[in-house]
Amino acid sequence: MSLYEVRAVSYRYSGNGHAVPALADVDLDVHAGEFLAIAGPSGSGKTTLLNLLGLLHAADAGTIRLDGRDVSTLVERERTRLRRERIAFVFQSFNLIPVLTAYENVEYVLLTRPLPSAERRRRTLAALAAVGIVDLAGRRPQRMSGGQQQRVAIARALVRDVGVVLADEPTAALDRTTGRAVMDLLKRLNRDRGIAFVFSTHDPRILAAADRVVHLADGRIAS
Amino acid sequence: MRRAALLLRLSLRNVFRNRRRSLFALATIAMGALGLFVFMGFNRGLMNQYRANTIRARWGHGQLYVQGYRDRAHARPWEHWIEDPSAVMARLRRLPGVLDLFPRLTVSAILVAGEHTAAGQGEGIDGAAEAGFFTQLNYRQGGDFRDRADGIVLGEGLARGLGVQPGDQIRLVVQGGEPLPRSAALRVTGIFHTGSQEFDSRTFRIPLGIAQALLATDRVESIAVALAEVEAWPAFAEAARASLPDLEAVPFDELDRIYYRQAVDWLDAQFAFIRGIILLVVFLGIFNVISMAVLERTREIGTLRANGDGRLAIALGHILEAVILAALGAALGLAAGWALSAGPLHDGVAMPPAPGITRSFRIQIELALADALQVMGLAALTAVVGCLLPVWRAVRMPIADALRHV
Repeated sequence: MSLYEVRAVSYRYSGNGHAVPALADVDLDVHAGEFLAIAGPSGSGKTTLLNLLGLLHAADAGTIRLDGRDVSTLVERERTRLRRERIAFVFQSFNLIPVLTAYENVEYVLLTRPLPSAERRRRTLAALAAVGIVDLAGRRPQRMSGGQQQRVAIARALVRDVGVVLADEPTAALDRTTGRAVMDLLKRLNRDRGIAFVFSTHDPRILAAADRVVHLADGRIAS
Repeated sequence: MRRAALLLRLSLRNVFRNRRRSLFALATIAMGALGLFVFMGFNRGLMNQYRANTIRARWGHGQLYVQGYRDRAHARPWEHWIEDPSAVMARLRRLPGVLDLFPRLTVSAILVAGEHTAAGQGEGIDGAAEAGFFTQLNYRQGGDFRDRADGIVLGEGLARGLGVQPGDQIRLVVQGGEPLPRSAALRVTGIFHTGSQEFDSRTFRIPLGIAQALLATDRVESIAVALAEVEAWPAFAEAARASLPDLEAVPFDELDRIYYRQAVDWLDAQFAFIRGIILLVVFLGIFNVISMAVLERTREIGTLRANGDGRLAIALGHILEAVILAALGAALGLAAGWALSAGPLHDGVAMPPAPGITRSFRIQIELALADALQVMGLAALTAVVGCLLPVWRAVRMPIADALRHV
């Protein structure tokens, strides 16, 4: 079953009276539990495609269906709700809140849900344990390595039991060994939990871990 | 609840994320709060002292007249004075809040001392009774005439014009009534000043009995009222209206409309202007800090929104942060204001004589809880208003743009 159905989607960035095409006529299916890589050089449209899948942008043309529902024309409030319930993000530069501890960064995204505090605590600690940093729960991001911070960001993505995690160059800010460890972690979580992962990269070594690779070039799917 | 607690903790930590900038903001807000608080205390002290001067120098808390007497000039004013004042005062003494009553009679007279002559406007008063209440009538020389039947006290300007000292004799010649003129020989017992140059240069006071004899009447023109406190006036006036409908009760600020009421209105307007300037400074301080903070955290805001946080929740966090900053700054300012008034300003602020006033003042800084709460509220309100624009801009930014922000 398709998690996402992307049909004839186009998107262009506008500014200063100019419109720059970023994606043109893209068709793509993402299946539940898939570990999908989006590859391509800088400027090929990888981040734009992830933003569209994450409902951060609305497509200029075409349709995107999530769980069979057309999300192309949703208002911002509905998109926010869907992001909260179905989609999580992992960013290249981690994007943790520096004044909160690892535990609080992960717990924060659960606070919009009507969960008892004991259940919230159990889930938060379980997510931190799943990425192997439960012993760093009380530490703030600036006192952690890049790899540890990215693990916190992954725990934050996992804790909500979403359907898909969108990761934009998740290893780009990490050294090769740490990057490999993070990818192994993502792969393991994908296998163990059945969550779909869609990640962008231009690192050929990372692509080897993917179930499927979609190549983008100049805003179009090349293969 | 947990979300509110975490939001509060997040906001508290964010307050001190950039310590130098937050300290600058705190200092700005604290200085604003300090200035506002002390200025409010100064203004309260000034108003209270001015009010006490007005009440205790001349008017009492108010005066009673025959209805309509003050509204127009009368060819034969003595026909419109209060009849049987002893009976009237006996009824007034039973009304709520009344401490004392002072019958009065205005006398326009020519004062003659040797070769010197001056026109004056005086009052016949119950000297012994008034000496206990009208404490702001300060004597430069001598003192009140109390029970002395032929005593007279003069404003210092009038005494200077006549060239008299305590112990000197003065003849008062009165124009009015029948037969005319009448005169009385009086002994100067004191020379006073109220602070008002204009008042002190024409005013004298004599025993009520002499004034009544000079004007050939057993009536009084007015009865001044001393109450337990200023706030008791409305209840007293209401009761007086019910008990003695022929009389009109006029409060001191109406009697002294030209000086007291207008001065109060003028000072209030000045205060509002200064308060506006202080609030503007605080507003700019908060606006600057929040604008910079929001700019720095644009990517963070994008992340929160990507993770499903609504605009309102994010905005509330920043507003809470601004309110915490304002409350901390205001608390520091209030504490500093209290320390200042309890320390260096404990004895008040020395003020030079105001226009038309002959003596200097010391104004006590009268801090009040109501003022502190108002300062705190204004600081919080300013903080909310000051952070609305930058926060609104930030949460309206497209999420993808916010995530790209460096």
